Amino acid sequence: MPQTLRVIYSAFRMAMLHWIADPQWVIPNVIAPFVFTFVALTLFKEATGPFGLYAVLGGGMMGMWGNTLYSSGFAIEFEKWQGTLEEVVATPSNLLHVIAGKSISNALFGLTNMAAILLIASLVFRVPLDVANPILFALSIVLTLISVSALGLIFASAFVLTRSAQVFTNGLEFPIYVISGSMFPIGLLPFWVHPASYILGPTWGIEAIRIAAGQENVSLTFWLNVGVMLLITLAYVALAAFLFKKVETKSRRDGTLGQA
Amino acid sequence: MLELSPQHGQESSDKAIVAEHLCKVFNVTKGILRRTKTQVVAVKDVSFEVNYGELFGLVGPNGAGKTTTIKLLTTMLIPTSGNATVLGLDIQKDVTKIRERIGIVLGGERGLYTRVSAIDNLRYFADLYGVPVNIQKKRIKELLQFMGLWDRARDRVETYSKGMKQRLHLARGLIHDPQLIFMDEPTIGLDPEIAKETRNMIKELVEKGKTVLLTTHYMFEADELCKRVAIIRNGEIVALDTPSGLKKYVMDASVVEVEGFGITEKEVARFREVPEVLAVSADLSENKQVLKIQTPKGSEIIAEVQEILKNSRIYDIKIKEPTLEDAYLRLVEGSAK
Repeated sequence: MPQTLRVIYSAFRMAMLHWIADPQWVIPNVIAPFVFTFVALTLFKEATGPFGLYAVLGGGMMGMWGNTLYSSGFAIEFEKWQGTLEEVVATPSNLLHVIAGKSISNALFGLTNMAAILLIASLVFRVPLDVANPILFALSIVLTLISVSALGLIFASAFVLTRSAQVFTNGLEFPIYVISGSMFPIGLLPFWVHPASYILGPTWGIEAIRIAAGQENVSLTFWLNVGVMLLITLAYVALAAFLFKKVETKSRRDGTLGQA
Repeated sequence: MLELSPQHGQESSDKAIVAEHLCKVFNVTKGILRRTKTQVVAVKDVSFEVNYGELFGLVGPNGAGKTTTIKLLTTMLIPTSGNATVLGLDIQKDVTKIRERIGIVLGGERGLYTRVSAIDNLRYFADLYGVPVNIQKKRIKELLQFMGLWDRARDRVETYSKGMKQRLHLARGLIHDPQLIFMDEPTIGLDPEIAKETRNMIKELVEKGKTVLLTTHYMFEADELCKRVAIIRNGEIVALDTPSGLKKYVMDASVVEVEGFGITEKEVARFREVPEVLAVSADLSENKQVLKIQTPKGSEIIAEVQEILKNSRIYDIKIKEPTLEDAYLRLVEGSAK
């Protein structure tokens, strides 16, 4: 296995071991989705159309993003608490690859959130969740997961510098839900918000997921959404690589790596 | 049996470390509304060399600049001015190459993943250091056996004692078989028996051909382990010699050791005003207080000691030959007199 992939896998494995060791993940990944699904379905009770799927996908995206953002920030803060950030930086491996592994594991855990919501909606609330094209539906979810992870990487670079990642994540969580169209279509938002929406990979991902859920023979728009999301994701990775290099140099200059 | 490779002998420099006029200044911001910036000089003009296969000690009180010097040499900090080479590589230009070849043992309770096992900790760092998978398993087992942790290898690190965590730090620092190992106060906070075991392990590493730079504020430790010792105070190296060379520095004086009770800081300060007193150290925390006075007058000063301590209880007064600890005290605290 090439060294870069090995580092990403090893960081992914370490993050998973910590998830298993600390069962508090049940709260954001099972209990919170249950509450969200209950609230969303109660609100949409009288609506007509595929309201159930909208509520469920919105909730799932919220879970995935919330998990990634929270965990990307927490990944760095956790290393600082444990006092391991200096040890990790002192290795020849690129910090970006280490955090990428953790970010993927976090987004994957976010997926369990979406799965929990789908199960709860289907089994407990008896919501019909017919997916027209299950293969492209799954593909677009996985690609959105990667895009969300890449966005999380950009924010993670900032957490190397700040001591209070928690405040930062709390502040960022809700605006992204709104402008990415997780909660409702971005067409409902004021026009001046649209540029911010379009530079977010998940905005295009959510649209692709909704198309795959509703159309068996997907239109060209589906592939356009997927293509744009992939391009944006690549740009995120390039930006994250640049930021991590800058941030690491600044931390080594200011001596902030070891600060808890 | 722990298998480690000896010195590689193909380095571009004949010195393991060459530090030249290293300086590190930190900018510290204070206040919230009225933010003021101040500069803290952690290391100023530090120069020294370490030979291959040497166990070199960097000794000084807390805040003297030992850890900052280690962090500069291990590329975890960027110097404000000056430069250094480690294994012939530039600490500012060859960052990744240096990181591949050196080991770092920062020690303490932190710096380990406590919710997973020792094996998982070592496996993770073996991957980050690029240790080939076919070597990893054998190396991890050997290291944990060498450190006496094999029986608890699969237990979570949070269940380990301080000494066990310290040994795991050492194992982690050796996971990639580095040529040069930096150890920052490896025995701090350990009980005497574990500290002794740790020192024996460090000696064994040097016997196996490794180069070690060690920081400590225990002089006896530096005396026992190190071939040469640099004493650092306020970010500057104030002396660099072999332990016996440093002892010669205080051969002009005797040490008057006073054991007593009720000795106050004020009385200690009065000793510092006596012209013939070269350095004073006092441990006033315990019931049996100990005062050490370095002076060329030897027993002639006893009358003056009794006069200054007339309000305290004196159990015993001894005249002793100075030790390396006394040389250190003179160099570090002598100027405060």
